[in-house]
Amino acid sequence: MSVTRRQFLVAGAGAVVVAAGSGCGQVKESTVEVRRWLGKPTAPPLAGALTPPSGTELDEVSHVLNRITLGVRPGDHARVSALGVKAFIEEQLAPQKLEDWMCERVIRHEFDSLADPEGTLLARQGDASDPLQALFPAMKDKGARVSHLYEFKDKVLLEDLTRATVLRAVLSERQLYEVMVQFWTDHFNIDPSKAEAKWLKAADDRDVIRAHALGNFREMLRESAVSPAMLWYLDGRANRRVKPEDKPNENYARELLELHTLGVHGGYTQQDVMEVARCLTGWTVRDKKKFFKGRVEFQAWAHDDGAKRLLGVEIAAGGGARDLDRVLEIVVAHPSTARHVAEKLCRKFIADEPPEAAVAATAAAFARSGGDVPTTLRALFATEEFWRQDGRGKKFKRPFHFVVSALRATNAETDASKALVDYLVRLGHAPFRYSTPDGYPEAASHWQSSLLWRWNFASALANNGIKGTSVESETLRERLGGDEGLMATVLGRRASELERGAYQESGAGLALLLASPAFQHC
Amino acid sequence: MASPQAVISGNGDERRTLVVIFLRGAADGLALVPPVTDDHYYRARPRLGIAAKDAVRLDERFGLHPKLQPLEAAWREGELAIVQACGTEDQTRSHFEAQDLMEHGGVVAGGWLGRYLRTRPSESRGALACVAVGKALPECLLGAPTVTVMQSLEDFAIAGRTPAFGTQLERLYAMQRGQLGTAARDTFAALVRIEAMRTTKYRPDNGATYGRDDFSNGLSQLARLIKADVGLEAASIDLPGWDSHFAQQGQVEGLAGKLADGLAALRKDLGARMATTTVVVMTEFGRTVEENSAFGTDHGRGSAMFVLGGGVRGGRVHGEWRGLAPEVLEKRGLLEGYGDLPVLNNYRNVLASVLARQGAGFGAAETASVFPGFEVKPMGIFG
Repeated sequence: MSVTRRQFLVAGAGAVVVAAGSGCGQVKESTVEVRRWLGKPTAPPLAGALTPPSGTELDEVSHVLNRITLGVRPGDHARVSALGVKAFIEEQLAPQKLEDWMCERVIRHEFDSLADPEGTLLARQGDASDPLQALFPAMKDKGARVSHLYEFKDKVLLEDLTRATVLRAVLSERQLYEVMVQFWTDHFNIDPSKAEAKWLKAADDRDVIRAHALGNFREMLRESAVSPAMLWYLDGRANRRVKPEDKPNENYARELLELHTLGVHGGYTQQDVMEVARCLTGWTVRDKKKFFKGRVEFQAWAHDDGAKRLLGVEIAAGGGARDLDRVLEIVVAHPSTARHVAEKLCRKFIADEPPEAAVAATAAAFARSGGDVPTTLRALFATEEFWRQDGRGKKFKRPFHFVVSALRATNAETDASKALVDYLVRLGHAPFRYSTPDGYPEAASHWQSSLLWRWNFASALANNGIKGTSVESETLRERLGGDEGLMATVLGRRASELERGAYQESGAGLALLLASPAFQHC
Repeated sequence: MASPQAVISGNGDERRTLVVIFLRGAADGLALVPPVTDDHYYRARPRLGIAAKDAVRLDERFGLHPKLQPLEAAWREGELAIVQACGTEDQTRSHFEAQDLMEHGGVVAGGWLGRYLRTRPSESRGALACVAVGKALPECLLGAPTVTVMQSLEDFAIAGRTPAFGTQLERLYAMQRGQLGTAARDTFAALVRIEAMRTTKYRPDNGATYGRDDFSNGLSQLARLIKADVGLEAASIDLPGWDSHFAQQGQVEGLAGKLADGLAALRKDLGARMATTTVVVMTEFGRTVEENSAFGTDHGRGSAMFVLGGGVRGGRVHGEWRGLAPEVLEKRGLLEGYGDLPVLNNYRNVLASVLARQGAGFGAAETASVFPGFEVKPMGIFG
């Protein structure tokens, strides 16, 4: 394995820290410090007030932390209590303003494959004022930004992408952003095991999902429609009409309407699916046998340029590549799309059976703002249904949320390597391994048959039985002020009599808390 | 609470188990099921052809490799069906690509067995509904609702340094109502049963004896799970090492012996439970009809599939067969000499027939959804 220039520079920076820190005597602290500087995965320091929650029920702070983050770290409750829940939500809705250097450094250090080769040189996405882009117009082309992925082995890419996803979920301060990354990854699901999506999903993760997760829905949809990985996954690349008798491939068109926008009962017909397919004929992606592999192209000669009619709206003949934008304009503006997205968001953040009033309010905000994700979420978080006391702690965590929240609750240090990911595989929820376009389901019923592996994960984590992952449970207990503090921090409220008894009699307190029914919920 | 039996078996009365065995490396179907009455066979394989006098005679066309003799009883008793000239329509001769395609069920994301499990109705799927014997999740199980990758039953214990961890958890979960409570109780019940299995030395039934190799050991673990009614719906296990480019005789003999001994032991051990068990044996592609100069065979096209179990229309070779005359063989590009055994029977049509057998609620529409983009025509492998 070669050391890249960047890693060399980072390592150089680390060496300076080693030299500077060598006289201080606090060997352990300085090791952690150096690891952090190098960008090696470490646990964040347990700093600030660590006061545990004191209520017997989940208070507003615990509730919000449960729902809009991937897990509550020691100290989070005290910090958010001081800040105020509303301010915390606003903070999370604007992730670009949140300092996140430790997580970013880890990602840069660990994953060469995920670096954007032009991202460091050029402004993203065709900034016309950028002189470098004027000089090298080819660099503007997204194709050039994805072809480098083919230099990696597909197994390496999947492993890197999986590890990076886990590490970001565990380490990032931008927790709601990571929650939304998960949400959109499922919404626009791509299984990279299909054909060249093996290489291209990494670009989709970067340019579609992460670029727009807390941005605008319509822009994300546009990027997704011409994402090289999506063109492979849903056969858009093979959707062409060269001769009148050619039948367009409807795979993407159908999922666009059924899953990405209007929803299955959104009021479209088979005719609409066929018309969307016709509009999108000619969009394709160059495969790995060609030059400029991974580049997305519009082939006018394979496009059906006749007139179309979609959801009652005329699309005039001769639109060519512009047909795509007409289609997206029509489907995004359709009221069913706002409703469909709102319903899914409410299922994620409120309840498996989302309450109608909350869905209506969320859908209205989506429609009013033209698909602005923060505006839509702000409306959702303002509904009475989101805050209801009897709804708190009632959603069943999906396995990824459970695993990440256990790592965060225990302030674990993890490299997210195979031993950890194996637990996610066994729990049926490893990132990027869901085969069909509907994405991992949200509802509890899908996730309750693998409890044994949750319990075993809890036990392995608490007993330092997972290679590459470690927990200092005794230090944690002491810092949190003993058993009561540990219990309240993990559970988000004071333990019940039953829980306290089980904690003490199990002889494995931390493991028991993580395996308990309460910790499976959020 | 219902009886432990009903609780543990996730699919109620339908205690059917599908076991998929993948022969990795492209098994030589023409050595396993030689067309012993076809002169073209011996012309193409003057040194490697399985002589008619050595083979176990199956019918007027085929024999079995002598090392597959342990399967003769299943054949005679009508529990073993064979499909020759089987494989995928794809022309790839890359092991990796072909295995991938076959395990996915075509150019499609996720595995066919995983899709089958997701499509199959199941009221409460237990923790052990699907088991992959080995170290890694096979491609065919990608997308399965739950999979346990295991090498032995030791993996099925509740963790924790003391039994108190489990006892206290059980106390907490006893207070849970609804689906979560049921799921927890099912899990504890399954654990009790497996604990009993783990702590006693396994004695196969009916005098069956398993070999000591990984494959036979894996099969014995599966037999235990099937007999213990833990709700096992599907299992996968590999027998690798079939890529016989060089001096293949000994290699094929050893592997064929393992395969047949393992399957015969499993069948004997399961006894009456064979009636609700189906075993499918498949490989990514076959090998060249003509032997090469190194006493081996190279990557070809069609190979053989085996289906073993209750309800099978056994004792016969199903599907199309046209013999090995040069004019019926598939051309190998510009290469000289013999062509390949063409794929006359698509593997998906064999699997579709097997899936249709797996109980109520799995009709034509469900089968089609397991193999999207392919017009399924299930073969009549079951009566």
